[in-house]
Amino acid sequence: MNRVKTRPPNGRSAVGNQVNFTAAGGKEHVAARMAEQTDMVLLDNVSFAYDGQHEDIKNVCLAIGRGEWVTLAGANGCGKSTLIRLMNGLLRARCGCISIGGVRLESGTVGVIRQKVGMVFQNPDNQFIGATVEEDMAFGLEGMCLGAEEIGSRITRYAMRLGISGLLHRHPQELSGGQKQRAALAAILAMEPELIILDEASSMLDEKARGEMLELLREMHREERYTLLSITHDAEEIAASQRVLVMDRGRLTADLAPRELFRNGDLLRLCRMELPFRLQLAQELEKRGIPPVPEGDPAGTAAYPVTEVMRKWAFNWSM
Amino acid sequence: MREKLLIGRLIDTGSQVHRLDPRAKLTAMLLYAAAVVAARSWPALLSLAAFSIAVMALTRIPLGTYLKAAKPLRILMLFILIVQCLAVKGGSVLLAAGSWHLDSAGLEAGMHAVLRMALLVCFTALLTFTTSPGRLNQGLEGMLRPFARCGISPERLSLMTGIALRFIPAILDEAQTIMKAQASRGADLKELPWKEKARMLTALLVPVTVSAFRRAEDLTASMESRGYRLGAPRTQYRPLSWSLKDTCFVAVFVLICLEVVWVGFY
Repeated sequence: MNRVKTRPPNGRSAVGNQVNFTAAGGKEHVAARMAEQTDMVLLDNVSFAYDGQHEDIKNVCLAIGRGEWVTLAGANGCGKSTLIRLMNGLLRARCGCISIGGVRLESGTVGVIRQKVGMVFQNPDNQFIGATVEEDMAFGLEGMCLGAEEIGSRITRYAMRLGISGLLHRHPQELSGGQKQRAALAAILAMEPELIILDEASSMLDEKARGEMLELLREMHREERYTLLSITHDAEEIAASQRVLVMDRGRLTADLAPRELFRNGDLLRLCRMELPFRLQLAQELEKRGIPPVPEGDPAGTAAYPVTEVMRKWAFNWSM
Repeated sequence: MREKLLIGRLIDTGSQVHRLDPRAKLTAMLLYAAAVVAARSWPALLSLAAFSIAVMALTRIPLGTYLKAAKPLRILMLFILIVQCLAVKGGSVLLAAGSWHLDSAGLEAGMHAVLRMALLVCFTALLTFTTSPGRLNQGLEGMLRPFARCGISPERLSLMTGIALRFIPAILDEAQTIMKAQASRGADLKELPWKEKARMLTALLVPVTVSAFRRAEDLTASMESRGYRLGAPRTQYRPLSWSLKDTCFVAVFVLICLEVVWVGFY
Protein backbone atom coordinates (compact mmCIF):
# COMPACT_ATOMS: atom_id res chain seq x y z
CA MET A 1 0.00 0.00 0.00
CA ASN A 2 2.56 2.48 1.03
CA ARG A 3 4.40 3.18 -2.13
CA VAL A 4 5.67 6.47 -0.98
CA LYS A 5 9.35 6.63 -1.09
CA THR A 6 11.02 7.83 2.01
CA ARG A 7 13.71 10.25 1.09
CA PRO A 8 16.66 8.53 -0.51
CA PRO A 9 19.94 8.89 1.33
CA ASN A 10 21.42 11.13 -1.33
CA GLY A 11 18.80 13.71 -0.56
CA ARG A 12 16.92 13.52 -3.81
CA SER A 13 13.22 14.04 -3.77
CA ALA A 14 10.74 11.50 -4.85
CA VAL A 15 10.20 12.53 -8.43
CA GLY A 16 8.98 9.77 -10.63
CA ASN A 17 7.56 7.82 -7.83
CA GLN A 18 4.10 7.10 -9.04
CA VAL A 19 1.70 7.33 -11.91
CA ASN A 20 3.62 9.48 -14.28
CA PHE A 21 7.13 8.34 -13.91
CA THR A 22 7.87 4.70 -13.90
CA ALA A 23 11.54 5.32 -14.28
CA ALA A 24 13.64 5.89 -11.22
CA GLY A 25 13.26 9.41 -9.92
CA GLY A 26 16.08 11.83 -9.48
CA LYS A 27 18.50 14.13 -11.06
CA GLU A 28 19.47 12.16 -14.14
CA HIS A 29 15.86 11.58 -15.00
CA VAL A 30 14.91 15.22 -14.69
CA ALA A 31 18.03 16.26 -16.57
CA ALA A 32 17.08 13.94 -19.39
CA ARG A 33 13.61 15.38 -19.53
CA MET A 34 15.04 18.84 -19.45
CA ALA A 35 16.95 18.07 -22.62
CA GLU A 36 13.76 16.83 -24.25
CA GLN A 37 11.81 19.94 -23.23
CA THR A 38 8.49 18.18 -23.41
CA ASP A 39 7.33 19.06 -19.93
CA MET A 40 5.58 22.13 -18.69
CA VAL A 41 7.48 22.38 -15.43
CA LEU A 42 10.93 21.04 -14.76
CA LEU A 43 12.82 21.68 -11.57
CA ASP A 44 16.25 20.23 -11.27
CA ASN A 45 17.82 20.16 -7.84
CA VAL A 46 16.35 23.51 -6.85
CA SER A 47 17.26 25.00 -3.48
CA PHE A 48 16.30 28.29 -1.95
CA ALA A 49 16.95 30.10 1.30
CA TYR A 50 15.20 33.29 2.38
CA ASP A 51 18.07 34.30 4.62
CA GLY A 52 20.77 32.86 2.39
CA GLN A 53 21.74 30.21 4.93
CA HIS A 54 18.92 28.04 6.14
CA GLU A 55 17.44 26.29 3.18
CA ASP A 56 13.68 26.62 2.92
CA ILE A 57 13.58 24.58 -0.26
CA LYS A 58 16.00 21.71 -0.42
CA ASN A 59 17.08 19.95 -3.61
CA VAL A 60 13.70 19.71 -5.22
CA CYS A 61 13.48 17.76 -8.46
CA LEU A 62 10.16 17.77 -10.19
CA ALA A 63 8.63 17.27 -13.60
CA ILE A 64 5.07 18.10 -14.55
CA GLY A 65 3.83 17.16 -17.99
CA ARG A 66 1.72 19.38 -20.20
CA GLY A 67 -1.99 19.21 -19.43
CA GLU A 68 -1.48 17.58 -16.06
CA TRP A 69 -3.42 18.58 -12.97
CA VAL A 70 -1.18 18.38 -9.97
CA THR A 71 -1.95 19.37 -6.40
CA LEU A 72 0.68 20.34 -3.87
CA ALA A 73 -0.09 19.48 -0.25
CA GLY A 74 1.75 19.83 3.02
CA ALA A 75 1.52 21.44 6.43
CA ASN A 76 1.61 25.22 6.75
CA GLY A 77 5.11 26.63 6.45
CA CYS A 78 6.56 23.63 4.64
CA GLY A 79 7.56 25.68 1.62
CA LYS A 80 4.71 25.18 -0.82
CA SER A 81 4.20 28.85 -1.58
CA THR A 82 7.94 29.40 -1.73
CA LEU A 83 8.29 26.61 -4.27
CA ILE A 84 5.68 28.02 -6.61
CA ARG A 85 7.08 31.53 -6.27
CA LEU A 86 10.35 30.14 -7.55
CA MET A 87 8.57 28.89 -10.65
CA ASN A 88 7.75 32.32 -12.07
CA GLY A 89 10.76 34.14 -10.79
CA LEU A 90 9.10 35.98 -7.90
CA LEU A 91 11.90 34.42 -5.89
CA ARG A 92 15.25 33.49 -7.28
CA ALA A 93 16.54 29.98 -6.62
CA ARG A 94 19.89 29.78 -4.89
CA CYS A 95 20.93 26.85 -7.01
CA GLY A 96 19.39 24.40 -9.42
CA CYS A 97 17.64 24.88 -12.68
CA ILE A 98 14.04 25.73 -13.45
CA SER A 99 12.44 25.47 -16.83
CA ILE A 100 8.85 26.33 -17.72
CA GLY A 101 7.37 25.25 -21.04
CA GLY A 102 10.81 24.56 -22.43
CA VAL A 103 12.22 27.96 -21.45
CA ARG A 104 14.90 28.08 -18.84
CA LEU A 105 14.24 30.58 -16.08
CA GLU A 106 17.00 33.20 -16.11
CA SER A 107 17.01 36.91 -15.51
CA GLY A 108 16.57 37.51 -19.24
CA THR A 109 13.61 35.16 -19.62
CA VAL A 110 11.56 36.15 -16.59
CA GLY A 111 9.19 38.18 -18.78
CA VAL A 112 8.55 35.27 -21.15
CA ILE A 113 8.07 32.85 -18.26
CA ARG A 114 5.61 35.13 -16.51
CA GLN A 115 3.50 35.16 -19.64
CA LYS A 116 3.44 31.39 -19.57
CA VAL A 117 2.59 31.17 -15.89
CA GLY A 118 -0.61 32.55 -14.43
CA MET A 119 -0.82 32.73 -10.68
CA VAL A 120 -3.88 33.07 -8.50
CA PHE A 121 -3.20 33.86 -4.86
CA GLN A 122 -4.95 33.07 -1.64
CA ASN A 123 -6.36 36.41 -0.61
CA PRO A 124 -8.81 37.58 -3.25
CA ASP A 125 -8.65 41.15 -1.95
CA ASN A 126 -4.96 41.74 -2.27
CA GLN A 127 -4.44 40.62 -5.85
CA PHE A 128 -6.90 43.06 -7.32
CA ILE A 129 -4.98 45.83 -9.03
CA GLY A 130 -7.68 47.66 -10.95
CA ALA A 131 -10.47 49.66 -9.38
CA THR A 132 -12.98 47.62 -11.36
CA VAL A 133 -13.05 44.01 -12.57
CA GLU A 134 -12.59 45.21 -16.12
CA GLU A 135 -9.57 47.36 -15.27
CA ASP A 136 -8.07 44.49 -13.37
CA MET A 137 -8.46 42.16 -16.33
CA ALA A 138 -7.00 44.79 -18.62
CA PHE A 139 -3.96 45.31 -16.38
CA GLY A 140 -2.11 42.17 -17.45
CA LEU A 141 -3.17 42.51 -21.07
CA GLU A 142 -1.90 46.09 -21.30
CA GLY A 143 1.41 44.83 -20.01
CA MET A 144 1.48 42.34 -22.87
CA CYS A 145 1.15 45.30 -25.25
CA LEU A 146 -2.01 44.02 -26.89
CA GLY A 147 -4.19 46.35 -28.94
CA ALA A 148 -7.33 47.83 -27.39
CA GLU A 149 -9.55 45.71 -29.62
CA GLU A 150 -7.86 42.47 -28.66
CA ILE A 151 -7.98 43.42 -24.97
CA GLY A 152 -11.69 44.16 -25.27
CA SER A 153 -12.47 40.89 -26.99
CA ARG A 154 -10.46 38.87 -24.49
CA ILE A 155 -12.14 40.58 -21.54
CA THR A 156 -15.58 39.87 -22.98
CA ARG A 157 -14.68 36.29 -23.80
CA TYR A 158 -13.16 35.32 -20.49
CA ALA A 159 -15.66 37.28 -18.40
CA MET A 160 -18.43 35.41 -20.14
CA ARG A 161 -16.70 32.12 -19.61
CA LEU A 162 -16.32 32.68 -15.88
CA GLY A 163 -19.78 34.15 -15.53
CA ILE A 164 -18.68 37.60 -14.41
CA SER A 165 -19.88 39.61 -17.42
CA GLY A 166 -22.34 41.47 -15.21
CA LEU A 167 -19.66 42.43 -12.72
CA LEU A 168 -17.17 44.07 -15.06
CA HIS A 169 -17.79 47.58 -13.77
CA ARG A 170 -17.91 46.72 -10.09
CA HIS A 171 -15.36 47.74 -7.51
CA PRO A 172 -13.69 44.69 -5.90
CA GLN A 173 -15.13 45.71 -2.55
CA GLU A 174 -18.60 45.12 -3.90
CA LEU A 175 -17.92 41.49 -4.82
CA SER A 176 -18.26 38.34 -2.77
CA GLY A 177 -15.20 36.20 -2.09
CA GLY A 178 -16.19 33.69 -4.76
CA GLN A 179 -16.77 36.42 -7.31
CA LYS A 180 -13.43 37.99 -6.51
CA GLN A 181 -11.59 34.73 -7.07
CA ARG A 182 -13.47 34.22 -10.33
CA ALA A 183 -12.42 37.69 -11.39
CA ALA A 184 -8.83 36.94 -10.41
CA LEU A 185 -8.92 33.72 -12.41
CA ALA A 186 -10.49 35.53 -15.36
CA ALA A 187 -7.71 38.12 -15.28
CA ILE A 188 -5.16 35.31 -15.37
CA LEU A 189 -6.93 33.27 -18.05
CA ALA A 190 -7.27 36.34 -20.28
CA MET A 191 -3.49 36.41 -20.48
CA GLU A 192 -3.74 32.90 -21.94
CA PRO A 193 -1.02 31.24 -19.89
CA GLU A 194 -0.01 27.64 -20.31
CA LEU A 195 0.56 26.87 -16.66
CA ILE A 196 -1.87 28.01 -14.02
CA ILE A 197 -0.74 27.98 -10.43
CA LEU A 198 -3.28 28.39 -7.67
CA ASP A 199 -1.89 29.22 -4.25
CA GLU A 200 -4.66 28.10 -1.92
CA ALA A 201 -7.00 30.03 -4.15
CA SER A 202 -10.12 28.51 -2.64
CA SER A 203 -9.09 28.47 1.01
CA MET A 204 -10.83 31.73 1.87
CA LEU A 205 -14.04 30.81 0.11
CA ASP A 206 -17.22 29.32 1.49
CA GLU A 207 -18.32 25.80 0.65
CA LYS A 208 -20.47 26.76 -2.32
CA ALA A 209 -17.88 29.07 -3.89
CA ARG A 210 -15.23 26.41 -3.36
CA GLY A 211 -17.39 23.87 -5.16
CA GLU A 212 -17.81 26.29 -8.07
CA MET A 213 -14.10 26.96 -8.21
CA LEU A 214 -13.41 23.22 -8.29
CA GLU A 215 -15.90 22.79 -11.10
CA LEU A 216 -14.07 25.50 -13.02
CA LEU A 217 -10.78 23.72 -12.53
CA ARG A 218 -12.33 20.49 -13.77
CA GLU A 219 -13.58 22.26 -16.86
CA MET A 220 -10.19 23.79 -17.48
CA HIS A 221 -8.52 20.45 -17.08
CA ARG A 222 -10.91 18.83 -19.55
CA GLU A 223 -9.98 21.43 -22.13
CA GLU A 224 -6.43 20.06 -22.05
CA ARG A 225 -5.12 23.51 -22.75
CA TYR A 226 -3.77 24.27 -19.31
CA THR A 227 -1.39 22.62 -16.94
CA LEU A 228 -2.75 23.08 -13.45
CA LEU A 229 -0.74 23.19 -10.26
CA SER A 230 -2.67 24.00 -7.14
CA ILE A 231 -1.70 24.26 -3.53
CA THR A 232 -4.55 23.05 -1.40
CA HIS A 233 -5.64 21.48 1.85
CA ASP A 234 -8.99 20.53 0.39
CA ALA A 235 -9.54 16.78 0.03
CA GLU A 236 -12.08 17.27 -2.74
CA GLU A 237 -9.65 19.26 -4.81
CA ILE A 238 -6.86 16.76 -4.24
CA ALA A 239 -9.18 13.92 -5.20
CA ALA A 240 -10.13 15.69 -8.41
CA SER A 241 -6.50 16.11 -9.46
CA GLN A 242 -4.34 13.49 -11.14
CA ARG A 243 -1.35 13.62 -8.92
CA VAL A 244 -0.41 14.91 -5.49
CA LEU A 245 2.95 16.20 -4.38
CA VAL A 246 3.52 16.21 -0.65
CA MET A 247 6.00 18.63 0.83
CA ASP A 248 7.61 18.49 4.21
CA ARG A 249 10.11 20.99 5.56
CA GLY A 250 11.23 22.14 2.15
CA ARG A 251 11.48 18.76 0.49
CA LEU A 252 9.19 16.85 -1.80
CA THR A 253 8.54 13.73 0.19
CA ALA A 254 5.95 12.06 -1.95
CA ASP A 255 4.60 12.14 -5.45
CA LEU A 256 1.60 9.92 -5.82
CA ALA A 257 -1.99 9.45 -6.93
CA PRO A 258 -4.68 11.03 -4.71
CA ARG A 259 -6.10 7.63 -3.85
CA GLU A 260 -2.76 6.52 -2.52
CA LEU A 261 -2.45 9.61 -0.38
CA PHE A 262 -5.86 9.05 1.16
CA ARG A 263 -4.89 5.51 2.10
CA ASN A 264 -1.67 6.62 3.70
CA GLY A 265 -2.27 7.72 7.26
CA ASP A 266 1.30 8.87 7.84
CA LEU A 267 1.29 11.17 4.84
CA LEU A 268 -2.12 12.54 5.74
CA ARG A 269 -0.83 13.36 9.19
CA LEU A 270 2.18 14.99 7.63
CA CYS A 271 -0.12 17.21 5.58
CA ARG A 272 -2.31 17.76 8.65
CA MET A 273 -5.29 16.67 6.63
CA GLU A 274 -8.42 14.93 7.65
CA LEU A 275 -10.43 12.94 5.17
CA PRO A 276 -14.07 13.71 4.52
CA PHE A 277 -16.41 11.41 6.40
CA ARG A 278 -17.49 9.43 3.34
CA LEU A 279 -13.92 8.53 2.48
CA GLN A 280 -13.18 7.51 6.05
CA LEU A 281 -16.27 5.32 6.03
CA ALA A 282 -15.37 3.73 2.74
CA GLN A 283 -11.89 2.99 3.98
CA GLU A 284 -13.13 1.50 7.23
CA LEU A 285 -15.44 -0.76 5.25
CA GLU A 286 -12.54 -1.76 3.07
CA LYS A 287 -10.44 -2.59 6.13
CA ARG A 288 -13.16 -4.87 7.35
CA GLY A 289 -13.00 -6.89 4.18
CA ILE A 290 -15.78 -5.23 2.25
CA PRO A 291 -14.22 -4.66 -1.14
CA PRO A 292 -13.89 -1.24 -2.77
CA VAL A 293 -15.48 -0.34 -6.06
CA PRO A 294 -14.29 -2.91 -8.57
CA GLU A 295 -12.03 -1.74 -11.35
CA GLY A 296 -13.84 -0.81 -14.51
CA ASP A 297 -17.12 -0.45 -12.70
CA PRO A 298 -17.06 3.12 -11.43
CA ALA A 299 -20.83 3.44 -11.51
CA GLY A 300 -21.08 0.46 -9.24
CA THR A 301 -23.59 -1.83 -10.88
CA ALA A 302 -22.92 -4.45 -8.28
CA ALA A 303 -24.30 -3.86 -4.82
CA TYR A 304 -21.07 -3.13 -3.00
CA PRO A 305 -21.46 -1.25 0.27
CA VAL A 306 -18.60 1.06 -0.65
CA THR A 307 -20.27 1.83 -3.94
CA GLU A 308 -23.38 2.63 -2.01
CA VAL A 309 -21.41 5.05 0.19
CA MET A 310 -19.87 6.63 -2.86
CA ARG A 311 -23.21 6.96 -4.54
CA LYS A 312 -24.81 8.56 -1.56
CA TRP A 313 -22.05 11.07 -0.98
CA ALA A 314 -20.79 11.50 -4.48
CA PHE A 315 -17.05 11.95 -4.52
CA ASN A 316 -15.58 12.58 -7.88
CA TRP A 317 -12.41 10.84 -8.79
CA SER A 318 -10.73 12.07 -11.84
CA MET A 319 -9.56 8.60 -12.69
CA MET B 1 -17.30 54.57 7.16
CA ARG B 2 -17.35 54.10 3.44
CA GLU B 3 -21.03 55.01 3.17
CA LYS B 4 -20.32 58.48 4.51
CA LEU B 5 -17.47 59.05 2.11
CA LEU B 6 -19.43 60.25 -0.86
CA ILE B 7 -16.63 62.12 -2.56
CA GLY B 8 -14.60 59.83 -4.78
CA ARG B 9 -17.53 57.78 -5.91
CA LEU B 10 -18.72 57.48 -9.50
CA ILE B 11 -22.43 58.05 -10.10
CA ASP B 12 -22.96 56.91 -13.63
CA THR B 13 -25.86 58.62 -15.39
CA GLY B 14 -24.24 58.47 -18.80
CA SER B 15 -24.50 62.24 -19.33
CA GLN B 16 -22.39 64.31 -21.72
CA VAL B 17 -20.16 65.39 -18.84
CA HIS B 18 -19.45 61.76 -17.98
CA ARG B 19 -18.15 61.14 -21.45
CA LEU B 20 -15.72 64.03 -21.54
CA ASP B 21 -11.98 63.46 -21.55
CA PRO B 22 -10.74 63.34 -17.94
CA ARG B 23 -7.96 65.75 -18.88
CA ALA B 24 -10.57 68.30 -19.95
CA LYS B 25 -12.39 67.85 -16.66
CA LEU B 26 -9.19 68.18 -14.66
CA THR B 27 -8.18 71.35 -16.52
CA ALA B 28 -11.67 72.75 -16.06
CA MET B 29 -11.47 71.98 -12.36
CA LEU B 30 -8.20 73.89 -12.04
CA LEU B 31 -9.72 76.86 -13.86
CA TYR B 32 -12.75 76.63 -11.61
CA ALA B 33 -10.58 76.68 -8.50
CA ALA B 34 -8.88 79.79 -9.85
CA ALA B 35 -12.27 81.40 -10.49
CA VAL B 36 -13.42 80.58 -6.95
CA VAL B 37 -10.33 82.19 -5.49
CA ALA B 38 -10.71 85.23 -7.75
CA ALA B 39 -14.39 85.75 -6.95
CA ARG B 40 -14.43 88.36 -4.21
CA SER B 41 -17.78 90.04 -4.57
CA TRP B 42 -21.41 88.99 -4.45
CA PRO B 43 -22.05 89.38 -8.18
CA ALA B 44 -18.96 87.32 -9.01
CA LEU B 45 -19.79 84.61 -6.50
CA LEU B 46 -23.45 84.43 -7.42
CA SER B 47 -22.73 84.22 -11.13
CA LEU B 48 -20.23 81.49 -10.39
CA ALA B 49 -22.83 79.68 -8.30
CA ALA B 50 -25.38 79.92 -11.10
CA PHE B 51 -22.83 78.60 -13.55
CA SER B 52 -21.95 75.71 -11.21
CA ILE B 53 -25.58 74.75 -10.81
CA ALA B 54 -26.00 74.76 -14.57
CA VAL B 55 -23.03 72.42 -15.04
CA MET B 56 -24.22 70.18 -12.18
CA ALA B 57 -27.64 69.96 -13.83
CA LEU B 58 -25.91 68.86 -17.03
CA THR B 59 -24.55 65.78 -15.22
CA ARG B 60 -28.12 64.64 -14.45
CA ILE B 61 -27.07 63.86 -10.89
CA PRO B 62 -29.53 65.32 -8.33
CA LEU B 63 -28.27 68.57 -6.78
CA GLY B 64 -28.89 67.16 -3.31
CA THR B 65 -26.14 64.63 -3.88
CA TYR B 66 -23.63 67.45 -4.34
CA LEU B 67 -24.79 69.09 -1.13
CA LYS B 68 -24.37 65.78 0.66
CA ALA B 69 -20.79 65.65 -0.57
CA ALA B 70 -20.12 69.00 1.12
CA LYS B 71 -21.90 67.99 4.33
CA PRO B 72 -18.89 66.49 6.12
CA LEU B 73 -17.25 69.92 5.94
CA ARG B 74 -20.08 71.85 7.63
CA ILE B 75 -18.19 72.18 10.91
CA LEU B 76 -15.18 73.59 9.10
CA MET B 77 -17.41 76.01 7.24
CA LEU B 78 -18.99 77.17 10.48
CA PHE B 79 -15.55 77.63 11.93
CA ILE B 80 -14.44 79.72 8.96
CA LEU B 81 -17.58 81.83 9.28
CA ILE B 82 -16.95 82.50 12.98
CA VAL B 83 -13.28 83.30 12.47
CA GLN B 84 -14.04 85.73 9.65
CA CYS B 85 -16.78 87.37 11.70
CA LEU B 86 -14.42 87.85 14.59
CA ALA B 87 -11.40 88.92 12.62
CA VAL B 88 -12.67 91.21 9.88
CA LYS B 89 -13.78 94.62 11.07
CA GLY B 90 -15.40 97.44 9.17
CA GLY B 91 -18.74 98.61 7.87
CA SER B 92 -21.70 99.04 10.17
CA VAL B 93 -22.05 97.35 13.53
CA LEU B 94 -24.70 94.68 13.39
CA LEU B 95 -24.45 93.24 16.88
CA ALA B 96 -22.65 94.45 19.96
CA ALA B 97 -22.00 92.64 23.20
CA GLY B 98 -19.80 94.63 25.55
CA SER B 99 -16.50 95.41 23.91
CA TRP B 100 -17.14 92.87 21.14
CA HIS B 101 -19.15 93.77 18.06
CA LEU B 102 -20.08 91.98 14.86
CA ASP B 103 -19.44 94.12 11.82
CA SER B 104 -21.18 93.86 8.47
CA ALA B 105 -17.84 93.50 6.68
CA GLY B 106 -16.96 90.55 8.92
CA LEU B 107 -20.26 88.83 8.24
CA GLU B 108 -19.92 89.43 4.53
CA ALA B 109 -16.35 88.11 4.44
CA GLY B 110 -17.45 85.05 6.42
CA MET B 111 -20.33 84.34 4.09
CA HIS B 112 -18.11 84.77 1.06
CA ALA B 113 -15.60 82.32 2.47
CA VAL B 114 -18.27 79.76 3.27
CA LEU B 115 -19.87 80.09 -0.15
CA ARG B 116 -16.49 79.75 -1.84
CA MET B 117 -15.70 76.65 0.16
CA ALA B 118 -19.11 75.11 -0.54
CA LEU B 119 -18.81 75.81 -4.26
CA LEU B 120 -15.35 74.35 -4.44
CA VAL B 121 -16.26 71.17 -2.59
CA CYS B 122 -19.52 70.61 -4.44
CA PHE B 123 -17.90 71.22 -7.75
CA THR B 124 -14.87 69.03 -7.22
CA ALA B 125 -17.33 66.32 -6.21
CA LEU B 126 -18.61 66.68 -9.76
CA LEU B 127 -15.24 65.53 -11.04
CA THR B 128 -15.32 62.29 -9.08
CA PHE B 129 -19.04 61.72 -9.57
CA THR B 130 -18.65 61.81 -13.34
CA THR B 131 -15.24 60.15 -13.75
CA SER B 132 -14.22 56.68 -12.61
CA PRO B 133 -11.09 56.64 -10.44
CA GLY B 134 -9.23 54.72 -13.13
CA ARG B 135 -10.17 57.25 -15.77
CA LEU B 136 -9.28 60.12 -13.49
CA ASN B 137 -5.95 58.56 -12.88
CA GLN B 138 -5.38 58.15 -16.58
CA GLY B 139 -6.20 61.82 -16.99
CA LEU B 140 -3.74 62.72 -14.30
CA GLU B 141 -1.08 60.69 -16.04
CA GLY B 142 -1.85 62.51 -19.27
CA MET B 143 -1.65 65.90 -17.56
CA LEU B 144 1.69 65.06 -15.98
CA ARG B 145 3.18 63.81 -19.23
CA PRO B 146 4.88 67.15 -20.01
CA PHE B 147 6.67 66.99 -16.65
CA ALA B 148 8.36 63.70 -17.55
CA ARG B 149 11.38 65.71 -18.68
CA CYS B 150 11.88 67.19 -15.22
CA GLY B 151 12.42 63.76 -13.76
CA ILE B 152 8.82 63.14 -12.72
CA SER B 153 7.58 59.74 -13.82
CA PRO B 154 3.88 60.05 -14.71
CA GLU B 155 3.46 56.25 -14.83
CA ARG B 156 4.86 55.85 -11.38
CA LEU B 157 2.69 58.60 -9.94
CA SER B 158 -0.45 57.37 -11.62
CA LEU B 159 0.22 53.81 -10.50
CA MET B 160 0.64 55.10 -6.98
CA THR B 161 -2.58 57.08 -6.98
CA GLY B 162 -4.37 54.24 -8.73
CA ILE B 163 -3.41 51.77 -6.04
CA ALA B 164 -4.23 54.28 -3.32
CA LEU B 165 -7.68 54.82 -4.80
CA ARG B 166 -8.18 51.10 -5.05
CA PHE B 167 -7.12 50.34 -1.48
CA ILE B 168 -8.48 53.29 0.50
CA PRO B 169 -11.94 51.71 0.87
CA ALA B 170 -10.41 48.36 1.80
CA ILE B 171 -8.18 49.92 4.43
CA LEU B 172 -11.05 52.00 5.82
CA ASP B 173 -13.12 48.83 6.16
CA GLU B 174 -10.26 47.16 7.90
CA ALA B 175 -9.79 50.07 10.32
CA GLN B 176 -13.44 49.77 11.17
CA THR B 177 -13.13 46.05 11.80
CA ILE B 178 -10.19 46.63 14.11
CA MET B 179 -12.08 49.38 15.92
CA LYS B 180 -14.99 47.02 16.44
CA ALA B 181 -12.64 44.32 17.68
CA GLN B 182 -11.18 46.79 20.17
CA ALA B 183 -14.63 47.96 21.22
CA SER B 184 -15.73 44.39 21.79
CA ARG B 185 -12.89 44.07 24.26
CA GLY B 186 -14.00 47.12 26.14
CA ALA B 187 -12.00 49.83 24.43
CA ASP B 188 -14.72 51.75 22.68
CA LEU B 189 -13.33 54.78 20.94
CA LYS B 190 -16.65 56.58 21.08
CA GLU B 191 -16.91 56.57 24.84
CA LEU B 192 -13.39 57.70 25.61
CA PRO B 193 -12.33 61.24 26.49
CA TRP B 194 -10.34 63.07 23.81
CA LYS B 195 -6.96 62.44 25.32
CA GLU B 196 -7.59 58.71 25.52
CA LYS B 197 -8.96 58.77 22.00
CA ALA B 198 -5.65 60.07 20.71
CA ARG B 199 -3.83 57.32 22.52
CA MET B 200 -6.21 54.69 21.17
CA LEU B 201 -5.60 55.99 17.69
CA THR B 202 -2.03 54.73 17.81
CA ALA B 203 -3.36 51.35 18.87
CA LEU B 204 -5.46 51.48 15.73
CA LEU B 205 -2.77 52.86 13.47
CA VAL B 206 -0.24 50.11 14.14
CA PRO B 207 -2.34 47.11 13.05
CA VAL B 208 -3.74 49.02 10.09
CA THR B 209 -0.26 49.97 8.91
CA VAL B 210 1.05 46.46 9.36
CA SER B 211 -1.78 45.02 7.36
CA ALA B 212 -1.30 47.66 4.68
CA PHE B 213 2.28 46.47 4.30
CA ARG B 214 1.11 42.88 4.03
CA ARG B 215 -1.37 43.89 1.38
CA ALA B 216 1.34 45.74 -0.49
CA GLU B 217 3.49 42.63 -0.52
CA ASP B 218 0.67 40.48 -1.88
CA LEU B 219 -0.16 43.11 -4.44
CA THR B 220 3.43 43.31 -5.65
CA ALA B 221 3.51 39.54 -6.09
CA SER B 222 0.28 39.70 -8.05
CA MET B 223 1.49 42.54 -10.25
CA GLU B 224 4.85 41.01 -10.91
CA SER B 225 3.41 37.63 -11.73
CA ARG B 226 1.20 39.36 -14.28
CA GLY B 227 4.32 40.60 -15.96
CA TYR B 228 4.39 44.15 -14.65
CA ARG B 229 7.71 45.94 -14.83
CA LEU B 230 8.13 49.61 -14.07
CA GLY B 231 8.98 51.48 -17.23
CA ALA B 232 8.21 48.56 -19.54
CA PRO B 233 6.12 49.48 -22.58
CA ARG B 234 2.38 49.09 -22.13
CA THR B 235 -0.65 49.66 -24.29
CA GLN B 236 -3.86 51.23 -23.08
CA TYR B 237 -7.19 49.48 -23.17
CA ARG B 238 -9.14 52.73 -23.16
CA PRO B 239 -6.82 55.39 -24.54
CA LEU B 240 -7.81 58.99 -23.89
CA SER B 241 -9.18 60.89 -26.83
CA TRP B 242 -9.58 64.64 -26.96
CA SER B 243 -12.48 65.89 -29.04
CA LEU B 244 -14.06 69.23 -29.94
CA LYS B 245 -16.46 68.84 -27.01
CA ASP B 246 -13.54 68.77 -24.60
CA THR B 247 -12.10 71.95 -26.08
CA CYS B 248 -15.49 73.65 -25.75
CA PHE B 249 -15.83 72.49 -22.14
CA VAL B 250 -12.46 73.96 -21.21
CA ALA B 251 -13.23 77.14 -23.19
CA VAL B 252 -16.41 77.68 -21.17
CA PHE B 253 -14.37 77.53 -17.99
CA VAL B 254 -11.83 79.97 -19.35
CA LEU B 255 -14.73 82.33 -20.07
CA ILE B 256 -16.16 81.98 -16.57
CA CYS B 257 -12.72 82.74 -15.15
CA LEU B 258 -12.52 85.89 -17.25
CA GLU B 259 -16.07 86.83 -16.28
CA VAL B 260 -15.29 86.51 -12.57
CA VAL B 261 -12.18 88.64 -12.91
CA TRP B 262 -14.05 91.22 -14.99
CA VAL B 263 -16.95 91.41 -12.51
CA GLY B 264 -14.42 91.77 -9.74
CA PHE B 265 -12.86 94.85 -11.33
CA TYR B 266 -15.94 96.73 -12.42
